[in-house]
Amino acid sequence: MAHSSGLFISVIGGAALVLGASYGWTAREFRAAELDVLTDRVGQLERSNADWASKADQTSALEARLSELETELSAALQAAEDAKQAAMQPVAEPVQESATDPVIADASALEFGDPARGEEVFAQCRSCHQIGQGATDRIGPHLNGIFGRRAGAHDGFRYSEDMSMMGSDGLTWELDTLNAYLENPKALVSRTRMNFAGLDDPQDRSNILAYLRQFSASPQNIPEAAPTAQAREVELAPEVLAIVGDTDYGEYLASECKTCHQQDGSDQGIPAITQWPTEDFVVAMHAYKRKIRPHPVMQMMANRLSDEEIAALAAYFAQTE
Amino acid sequence: MKLNRRAFVGTGVAAATLSAPMVNAASHGKPKVVVVGGGAGGATAARYIAKDSAGEIDVTLIEPSRSYYTCFFSNLYIGGFRELDSIEHSYGTLASEYGINVVHDWATGVDRDAKTVALAGGGAVPYDRLILSPGIDFVDGAVPGWDVSAQNAMPHAYKGGSQTELLKAQIMAMPEGGTYVMVAPPNPYRCPPGPYERVSMVAHVLKANNPTAKIIIADPKPSFSKQGLFEEGWQKHYAGMVTRIGPDFGGDNVSVDPAAMTVDVDGEVIKADVVNVIPAQKAGLICEAAGLTEGNWAPVTGHTMQSRLDENIHILGDATNQGDMPKSGFSANSQAKVAAMAVRGALTGSRVFPAKFSNTCWSLIDTNDGVKVGATYEATDEKIAKVDGFVSQTGEDAALRQATYEESIGWYEGITSDMFG
Ligand SMILES: Cc1cc2nc3c(=O)[nH]c(=O)nc-3n(C[C@H](O)[C@H](O)[C@H](O)COP(=O)(O)OP(=O)(O)OC[C@H]3O[C@@H](n4cnc5c(N)ncnc54)[C@H](O)[C@@H]3O)c2cc1C
Repeated sequence: MAHSSGLFISVIGGAALVLGASYGWTAREFRAAELDVLTDRVGQLERSNADWASKADQTSALEARLSELETELSAALQAAEDAKQAAMQPVAEPVQESATDPVIADASALEFGDPARGEEVFAQCRSCHQIGQGATDRIGPHLNGIFGRRAGAHDGFRYSEDMSMMGSDGLTWELDTLNAYLENPKALVSRTRMNFAGLDDPQDRSNILAYLRQFSASPQNIPEAAPTAQAREVELAPEVLAIVGDTDYGEYLASECKTCHQQDGSDQGIPAITQWPTEDFVVAMHAYKRKIRPHPVMQMMANRLSDEEIAALAAYFAQTE
Repeated sequence: MKLNRRAFVGTGVAAATLSAPMVNAASHGKPKVVVVGGGAGGATAARYIAKDSAGEIDVTLIEPSRSYYTCFFSNLYIGGFRELDSIEHSYGTLASEYGINVVHDWATGVDRDAKTVALAGGGAVPYDRLILSPGIDFVDGAVPGWDVSAQNAMPHAYKGGSQTELLKAQIMAMPEGGTYVMVAPPNPYRCPPGPYERVSMVAHVLKANNPTAKIIIADPKPSFSKQGLFEEGWQKHYAGMVTRIGPDFGGDNVSVDPAAMTVDVDGEVIKADVVNVIPAQKAGLICEAAGLTEGNWAPVTGHTMQSRLDENIHILGDATNQGDMPKSGFSANSQAKVAAMAVRGALTGSRVFPAKFSNTCWSLIDTNDGVKVGATYEATDEKIAKVDGFVSQTGEDAALRQATYEESIGWYEGITSDMFG
């Protein structure tokens, strides 16, 4: 190639600046070029130093905000505990759910319960899942080391497509996600093969979680109740589930879904959404909205849908063939 | 057969080379919608109006080509991940199943008082509402030395079909160790990550067939869409192959000589084997011919996608100046549904809901290494405004990147059946 050395210099300079890497241009003969590269490097270093300084500032700002939030959280927890106590007083008025938040967020932090009780509750799981020494996959995968495991990622087990997809999207089994899954498996993973209706009682769930935790590596490293491990199950208020969707509106809203989800119900790369039972659909969309289900596109789409809009979509999709 | 649109719009000749279909302009009660351009915006709008009005509205779609080759996934064709015929779509179903009157011709002008669209093949089609979704044309003189007459020597491949095929053939014929130069466009242009996905795909084929070849991008923009993700990918998969010359090194001062196959970057002359010139862009020429542009683009209101200069005309997709949405097929498709709803509401009194828009652009960097960026939008009086968004992260694991690529395949099937039925 007939270049003049001037271009070489700007090309190398540009490469070092923009991509910060070697580009296979051999430029040993061009001392000037080398000089330029060095000058750029120095410039780069200076810039990255400045960067670090500003990052450090940001970090301490964030830390300050975090401790603020922690304080707020413990105040909220205290308030919730007080409210609970108050609710248990026979004479007290029942606690009203906030009218604007249809999802009953359990304000008390998730905690591990009693592993011995959990073992009893686990009896109903044993027909499909083994746990402990020598456990192998049966109808369901064995559950040793379940904490911290990617969903659908245990080698050699054939998961449902939905479970594998959730895993690739980033679902990992932690205290909060396991809790949500145990409460309502299909709310988290629509077409999971796990044929189990879910455990309604939060106490049962925290007991079983305590039991499972014993079979994960270094259980002491699994936080008891980290500030982020708040209950996030999508327990929908009955009035939200009772909304009768406007199918005309649903049809318009659904046109947005159909850019990606095929209307003929095929599910290559992207799951099908036609013919969903209304309630499953509603619960799933709320789970995206609350960011329990992973997947950035769906979280974003669900985020701006109101309860009425979710109901409208559900009503529309339920009637599609 | 590819025809030069400029010749058409400029002179109206060469119409004889198109079969001039019968256009039924006779009035019979039903409201009439005419859609110009059968791409991501136009095909979707025509289909939704015809489908949802269930025969109450006459829909005519004017589109010169019998096949629409999507620009989306055309880079994957260059990279060898798709066959050309897998990105080709016909208008047959729109005509047969939705009863749309598909007219293969160019629209050459709009008489906004008489409310008719003139065709290159002669005659005029009346409308009650007109939808324009003509995509882009190139700004004259944007890259000195280049004009559409040079598009065979230096293809843009920024409109689908033969240009894409030509560019790929040129890349495959590059001599060992040869040089591919891309002249990247300034903002705003169709598909912000498009040029960089293309570079990834060119690098992918060259790595397999011609690993000592070089890719140079002359870029007038200081930064570009998903830059961190692309640069990470180029470094990982194609180290040493890609050089980008930004404006700080003269990437904004480029001219070309198609006869000599050279590119002049800020006074330095590069001899190249393939030159992919993607010039600055503007609304498809019909918008200007209809007097609907301000500057290079056609301003619209986001509530209905109506032209700000004529309430009987809705404009979609790349041609518009609407606010925050990128010029993408996904955006055009999303805007088409808002326009279809508004048009039906105006003509038949059907219900109209508040406009919602969204966009997600997937890009492939290498085999099973897909990334995406997306956002949701709403209409304000001033513009289409971004509400929320996300972008893939650098350092994501292989499973997620593969899932993202597979998702893009699903999206392609979804959007093309949403456009063409
Ligand atoms: C390389 C590349 C990659 C891309 N990748 C993606 C992607 O991954 N995702 C994505 O969402 N978008 C992508 N895009 C962008 C996408 O192709 C466009 O944004 C989209 O096609 C715009 O739709 P439109 O309706 O405005 O125009 P088009 O789809 O271009 O349709 C315009 C139609 O109008 C017709 N027409 C023009 N003038 C006239 C006239 N006077 N009379 C009659 N008909 C006329 C044309 O023949 C054409 O068929 C990509 C683009 C490129 C170039």
